[in-house]
Amino acid sequence: MINELVIGHADARLVAQAILDAAGTKNKPIAVAVVDNRGDVVYLTRQDGTSAVDVRNAERKAYTAAFIGRDTALWRQQIAHDGRTVADWSDANTTTLHGGWTLRRQSQVIGGIGVAGTGDEDRDEQLALKGAEAAAQISVDEWLTKRDPRIIRDR
Amino acid sequence: MFQRESIGIEEAEKARDSILGALTNTDNPIALVIADDRGVPVLLYREDGAPARMLRRARAKAYTSANLGVNTVDFRDNEIKAKNRTLNDWGDPMITSLQGGIAIRNNGNVVGGISMSGNTTIRDEALAQIGLDAMGLK
Repeated sequence: MINELVIGHADARLVAQAILDAAGTKNKPIAVAVVDNRGDVVYLTRQDGTSAVDVRNAERKAYTAAFIGRDTALWRQQIAHDGRTVADWSDANTTTLHGGWTLRRQSQVIGGIGVAGTGDEDRDEQLALKGAEAAAQISVDEWLTKRDPRIIRDR
Repeated sequence: MFQRESIGIEEAEKARDSILGALTNTDNPIALVIADDRGVPVLLYREDGAPARMLRRARAKAYTSANLGVNTVDFRDNEIKAKNRTLNDWGDPMITSLQGGIAIRNNGNVVGGISMSGNTTIRDEALAQIGLDAMGLK
């Protein structure tokens, strides 16, 4: 038997909200997708005015980050280095557009984040990173509440 | 030139919160989809334990309601069963006749679709209706 760590809906909402908060209102409207470790959507939201293609690309970026297990920017470099293209994966959901970020815990992929819509794929990636930071903070908060409260040398 | 009206994230979040507030311990983990007037998702939500196929079903229901402007149960009864048609007649793989998708209207115009999956289709539709009511549209 195996056990998989998977991002849940409560954390996914926190991640999405952190990205929307970081985006503010100065960007073009964005779409944010958070998927589980298999690339299936857990939470997707968008700001008013986001185009349909950005909604689709946010999900594709998140899917790629989780399913391939690489941040999409890194994956682009990797397959270019290997002389391949996205088409080699025979999966229309995969993309190398920047803005897909892989979420990991304990060396396992637990999900992916995708951001699209700012008009600048590197800005999309920066915002996705804000979500990943929020996800990391969640685990820190969990550790702080669940840890043994005694001082380490007294344990 | 003409203008199309569509729901935005504000209405979608009202619906989301009312549905989540209406869930009981006897409900299965749910998938919720709220789509704009063209069936493009405004908000997707899948609870822990809800299989991914539930979200696919819910997407299809919301897409169908928004694009055809009907509740999926009425589509099933009036357009498919009553006229002896099949889903293939529409030539669109996203069209479904599963109950649980409701067209969102404002002043008589279709402005989106809302749908649920995870429970019985009747319960799915009842929960979607709770979300629709919470949007406060005319």
